[in-house]
Amino acid sequence: MRETVRQAARATVQLALAVGLTVFSYVFVTVLLITAIGTIAILGAWLLPETVLLIRRIAGAKRSMTAAWTGREIPDAYQPINGSLRSRLRTAVRDPGTYVDLRWMAANYGYGALGLLALPLWLAGLPVDGVWCGLLRRRPLVLPLISGLADLDAAWSAALLRPSPKALLTKRVEQLTQTRAGAIAAHSAELRRIERDLHDGAQARLVSLSMRIGLAKRAYERDPAAGRRLLDEAQEHAEEALAELRQVVRGIHPPILTDRGLAGAVRALAAGSGLDVVVQADDVEAGPRAPVAVESAAYFVVAEALTNAAKHSGSRQAAVRLTRTRAGLRVVVRDEGKGGVTTPDGTEAAGTGLAGMRRRVAALDGTFSVASPAGGPTVIEAELPCAW
Amino acid sequence: MRVVIAEDNALLREGLVLLLTSAGHEVAAVAVAEPEILPALLRHRPDIAVLDVRMPPGFRDEGLRAALAARSQIPGLPVLVLSQYVEVAYAAELLGVGASGIGYLLKDRIGRVEEFLDALNRVAAGGTALDPEVVTELLARRRSTPLDSLTPREREVLKLMAEGHDNTTIAATLVITERAVSKHIGNVFLKLGLPPTDVGHRRVLAVLAHLNAQ
Repeated sequence: MRETVRQAARATVQLALAVGLTVFSYVFVTVLLITAIGTIAILGAWLLPETVLLIRRIAGAKRSMTAAWTGREIPDAYQPINGSLRSRLRTAVRDPGTYVDLRWMAANYGYGALGLLALPLWLAGLPVDGVWCGLLRRRPLVLPLISGLADLDAAWSAALLRPSPKALLTKRVEQLTQTRAGAIAAHSAELRRIERDLHDGAQARLVSLSMRIGLAKRAYERDPAAGRRLLDEAQEHAEEALAELRQVVRGIHPPILTDRGLAGAVRALAAGSGLDVVVQADDVEAGPRAPVAVESAAYFVVAEALTNAAKHSGSRQAAVRLTRTRAGLRVVVRDEGKGGVTTPDGTEAAGTGLAGMRRRVAALDGTFSVASPAGGPTVIEAELPCAW
Repeated sequence: MRVVIAEDNALLREGLVLLLTSAGHEVAAVAVAEPEILPALLRHRPDIAVLDVRMPPGFRDEGLRAALAARSQIPGLPVLVLSQYVEVAYAAELLGVGASGIGYLLKDRIGRVEEFLDALNRVAAGGTALDPEVVTELLARRRSTPLDSLTPREREVLKLMAEGHDNTTIAATLVITERAVSKHIGNVFLKLGLPPTDVGHRRVLAVLAHLNAQ
């Protein structure tokens, strides 16, 4: 009986929220009508996008309420309303999401008030079920109906609020367009950096090397000692150029990644980090390899995270885990240090390379998260989509 | 000395052959791809093998694998592995078969002809030649260890020792007497808690084992 009452109480809260939202949207319809009239009269044109945004928030509230009740997420697929008034108006009117919301809202005027039935059900249910279930030890009859009401409300809302497959696709395309633009920007920035590194470093040294060899050739007969000195300098420049080229190559694509694959390369990183690192990479050891860009990004994330851990965490313990997921590759780096890489309001400590990691992962349409409460531990997680 | 070379890049291959022959060595065979390396070594049984790490057909670590395979088929064969970049992990694998007659150097070092030939001779004679970059990396990755108690001079001595140099060379490089070198080495071994060993590859192994241990 106690469980039944508790469940019914939970459902009542859910229904009360639903009724509250419905009442709010009754009021809201007035605003909507005014806006519609206003828009026709042109005067209220600027009001329309704002109204659509408000509808989105109401529908959003209903989505999260329903998700909380059923435990199943209801996706949304809105197009962003921004830019000039004209483009905001156009999006507000053309976005299929607007009509999904309006359809729900209209239907909700009807079924939204269902929750009010909870009150008589309580009044009837407490004495009836009290006797039926409490005294006669039978299954409760009336109170579960309240849960049924909440279930019904959630089921209808979920069905009405779910965007059409087309809208979901449109949203996905939008996301992909954005990440692709990000990837291209990151790629160009990378190319410019490499070009600059080569131009200022190795190329300049090779020029000066060639110059010194030329001078040495001229000095060869007249002043062998000077010639020898110039050749010594030329050799030093050649060695420096080689060292710089090696650095540039490492920055583009670490050679050990080519040689040993991600698992081997990450183990080498761990061994060189100066920390006691437990590496779990059996999952990616055998079988097909991830695309080069994915391996490269994963390596970069592990390298940066371990550098951070060695520099800032104050701990000597760290763990790296690489796992294949259905959607791609998951990288988790955890250290047992003092944490505090991110503050509670979400800003990140400077100089930790977190922004760089995030960019690199986002460029591949991946997700990146940092959990680092003060007192530790710090857990950095990246998920890079790829087909296996 | 009779040398077998494995190097796929024509420019570097010609340069190496030129360098070795002008130093009075004989190049018995040149392998330009991984499948040729082992047969060439088995047929010619050279005094030393000079192998490039990245070779066709895979362009990964074929030379390194060939070196390890050669050592298991021809025990004690001196092998000098050359690479465009060095990895401590690779050095550890090479030394896993014993430091005697093992060399692992950056290709850059070939430019210093005298030093390169010296390293070649050392490896052929059963010694060790480890690239300074590997040793630096090994020293850098250890934090708050007995290494911190070493004086700067002792660290220098340790580095040269790990690269595979003998006392005479260490003394000449640091411009100190050989007796001073022995004294520093004694201190290093004492501070690191290593059993005193004689000159040569066993000493290198002891030092590297200490550095590599986590």
